[in-house]
Amino acid sequence: MPFSSPRTDIATFDIESTAGDARAGTLRIEDTSLQTPNLLPVVNLYAGGMDRSLYGGGIHRTMKEFMTGHDVIGGGDYSEFFDGIMTSVGSLTDYNISRERYEDYIAEPVKEREVFEDFNGTLFLDSGGFKFLGGYGLDGSNFEVEIDQEQVYEIQQQMGGDIIVNLDRPITRDDDYETRVQKARRTAENVVEFLDLSEGTSSARYLTLHGHNYSMLDTFLQEIDDVVGSKRAHNEFDGVALGSLVPMKDNKGALIDAVQDCRSVLQDWQFDDLPLHVLGISSSAIPLLAAVGADSFDSSSYLHSAINGKYNTSLIETKPLDDVDFNNCDCPVCSNEDLVRQMKGDTEYRKDELGPVAMHNLILQKREVAHIRECIHEPGSERFVEYIEESIGQNKGLRRFAHRVVNESLGGYF
Amino acid sequence: MQKAPADTQTKKRPKVNEVNEFLEIASDFEDPLEVIREALSNSYDAGATSVEISIKSRPDGSEIIIEDNGKGMSQSDLESFFDLGNSTKTNPENDSIGYKGHGTKILYKSDRIVVNTARDGTNLRAVMDKPWEKLNNRVLPEYEVTESTTRQGNDGTLIKVSGFKSGQGFAPESLTYNKIEHYLKWKTLAGSTKHYFHPEEHDELEITVNLGDEIDDSRDKLVTNNRLEFPEPNPEPGDGPFPESEMCQHYGPKTLAVEAENGDTTELEIVGMVGGKEARDKLPTYGRHSAQFGIWLAKDHIKVERLNEAISHDNEFIHFLFVANSQDIELSANREKIRNKSSAIYQAIEEELNYFLSKVSADPWFKDYLEQRRIAELNRRASSQQNSVETRKQEISKRGGFCATNQSEVILGLERSNRLEGHTKITIEDFDLGSEINAIVEQEGRLYASSVHLQLTDHFTEDKPLENVDKLICWEVGDKDKLREIERKGYQKGDVEFDFENNEMAYENVTTRNIEIVVVSSRLK
Repeated sequence: MPFSSPRTDIATFDIESTAGDARAGTLRIEDTSLQTPNLLPVVNLYAGGMDRSLYGGGIHRTMKEFMTGHDVIGGGDYSEFFDGIMTSVGSLTDYNISRERYEDYIAEPVKEREVFEDFNGTLFLDSGGFKFLGGYGLDGSNFEVEIDQEQVYEIQQQMGGDIIVNLDRPITRDDDYETRVQKARRTAENVVEFLDLSEGTSSARYLTLHGHNYSMLDTFLQEIDDVVGSKRAHNEFDGVALGSLVPMKDNKGALIDAVQDCRSVLQDWQFDDLPLHVLGISSSAIPLLAAVGADSFDSSSYLHSAINGKYNTSLIETKPLDDVDFNNCDCPVCSNEDLVRQMKGDTEYRKDELGPVAMHNLILQKREVAHIRECIHEPGSERFVEYIEESIGQNKGLRRFAHRVVNESLGGYF
Repeated sequence: MQKAPADTQTKKRPKVNEVNEFLEIASDFEDPLEVIREALSNSYDAGATSVEISIKSRPDGSEIIIEDNGKGMSQSDLESFFDLGNSTKTNPENDSIGYKGHGTKILYKSDRIVVNTARDGTNLRAVMDKPWEKLNNRVLPEYEVTESTTRQGNDGTLIKVSGFKSGQGFAPESLTYNKIEHYLKWKTLAGSTKHYFHPEEHDELEITVNLGDEIDDSRDKLVTNNRLEFPEPNPEPGDGPFPESEMCQHYGPKTLAVEAENGDTTELEIVGMVGGKEARDKLPTYGRHSAQFGIWLAKDHIKVERLNEAISHDNEFIHFLFVANSQDIELSANREKIRNKSSAIYQAIEEELNYFLSKVSADPWFKDYLEQRRIAELNRRASSQQNSVETRKQEISKRGGFCATNQSEVILGLERSNRLEGHTKITIEDFDLGSEINAIVEQEGRLYASSVHLQLTDHFTEDKPLENVDKLICWEVGDKDKLREIERKGYQKGDVEFDFENNEMAYENVTTRNIEIVVVSSRLK
């Protein structure tokens, strides 16, 4: 029999509407509230600098300026686009910092920092498993930190995430069965430690899952069940985060398989009332994966596009920055003359040119996600089907995936 | 000083060679069956509810009579009938089908045309003699019109064409009721899809075709209507070896608004079916399905040209019959081709059709249909496998003992022979079928490079070297005369000598090499 939400006192996830397999709801953790489906932009909160530079990070810094409505970007309230963000423990030493600075970064919870006090969204703190378990620890300019579950949890606790995940061992497409089982067992051992360490935490805890199809995910959950125990896994987690999909990000069919199968396996293991986060996937996959029942996503694609001089005109299409007519977009960035001037290259620093582009890209993605939520809230599936047809369906390369999710998850066309 | 002459200006009017134009247009209509298509369109445009077409084969050409109960022709209609490019049906937007004024000119390929038409108490009789002969003599044929009164309520038109130069198309050996029915439903308004979209505007037309017995005496006549109707839907698979064969699913009618990049718009009216062979055979398909099924573009709801590229290449168009109508496609004079393919609106139609069909191809029913085909194919293969297994088993029973038929079986035979008393054991340690020396065998603790063949002769036929071969292993030696010839002529610049008594051969090429011959069949005796 399914467990009813909430399972813990920390988080509640209310599914308010469904359209086929798609669902829209609200995830409440402490005093934060996140409408789902939703996209959490990856923001490197700590990126080499100090508090006066919002802890630095070039284009990341610009994103933090938008996030906090800083005067540098001409102020304004962009908070609706930062109702949830993702940051990773693994990114802490990306900027070759000293131990002193590292210790400063983790000394205080993010939301208690003065510079971030205007941020009141949901902070998802990833464990960085994808980074550490390839054999790396935190590697600064004059120090190294061996990373294990205990260490990761300590950092997560000090940074104060609203959502935290156990340290996981992502799988690769080349892993054979034994390797995957071994990784699942190691992750399961981390899960036990994570639950022990985080007992009484005020953060919502997400269980990381790894697998590309039903059988892989089922094998993974079997290991969790064997090591952690069914009761504990069911009672102590507030959500599920599906990982190991980033290498397949361009294979939409495989992504749909993975998320669809994940929903099935979660149902069979009676985890289906928990919110399902898909790690590291966004852009054109969002409508497809929302249609098959994913509740949240995170990605830095908005940033990477900008860094490559690409300006999003839709979830699928980008234009080279030089070809953009900013009058065609009504987002607050493109409606701001100063920011448009910067995007046109009239600025000293490249980050000030590309930062607003990244923000525009993010706004575009966030607006699409909001539109998807509206569609799911409409009665029936027709509105969402129409949306999929008008967006993904118009792209010849992606069309078959649009048809697939419409047929398999939204009731079909005919 | 002499004055320059003033400039002179004259206006010139381009000339039309009327005779040539008539000849050209009449010749454009290659298929004599187009007579029927034009007749039906004219009758429909005249509001007829029935039309009867009779075709007889005569020694001096075909005789064609077309009679309808439409509203008849006025003087100007009659003129249009004979004139070129002077149709009274000038508005392509209205309900009429023919409007170029070209169609009826195919009838000029005859000895005599008589039109008898009654309208509101007036009867007009027009006669044109020897139109084709005159045109070929570069004379524009004329026609005589006689007007008389007739009783009211007797409207209609009768066209009689004698000595129609039909070529092979109307010849008794090629024209049949089946061919005409197929033509009617595939190429004329008898295959109209209008009733799916505009039932209130669709006027029923009963079409009767009579062929002379000398052409086809298989039935009295053919009676049909002006609707293309798909076989009944049958979504479930049947029993038997081809379960998908009778499956059939309908799609549409669906009207799509199409907008081109340049702002032009049109409506695309799509209706169709997907079905197995038996389902498709329920349509009048007297010919190859590959030439008939697929995606048809239509105007006036009459199919014109196929656009099978609208279905992605991984789906065979043969399972589909879709008619996509747009009044904004433009046709060639003989209605066989679309001539505005480079227009923005045509491109947009193509795009929209492609999208619609991608949805059909992704429909779970269609996937199931394909799956039924696949399973049926697997079942047929399993059944054929079973037959093949049975045959092989019977052959084994018949031959009464093991008999190698390929290299792998030679190896198995060799292994078997090791189990018998009285032979030195030779075991295969390594086998690579593709290698020149395809086996390494072990005998009494030593390894030998070996060449395994069904017959000893095969080694020589395949022209394989002997330099590194220790053993030649075969099921049988094969044709000893062949081997003797090799002995006689030499092999690869060396000399060969076989000693079958002692199962060995000598190969002499710079040095002499003794090679053991292992005949596996004799080891098993």
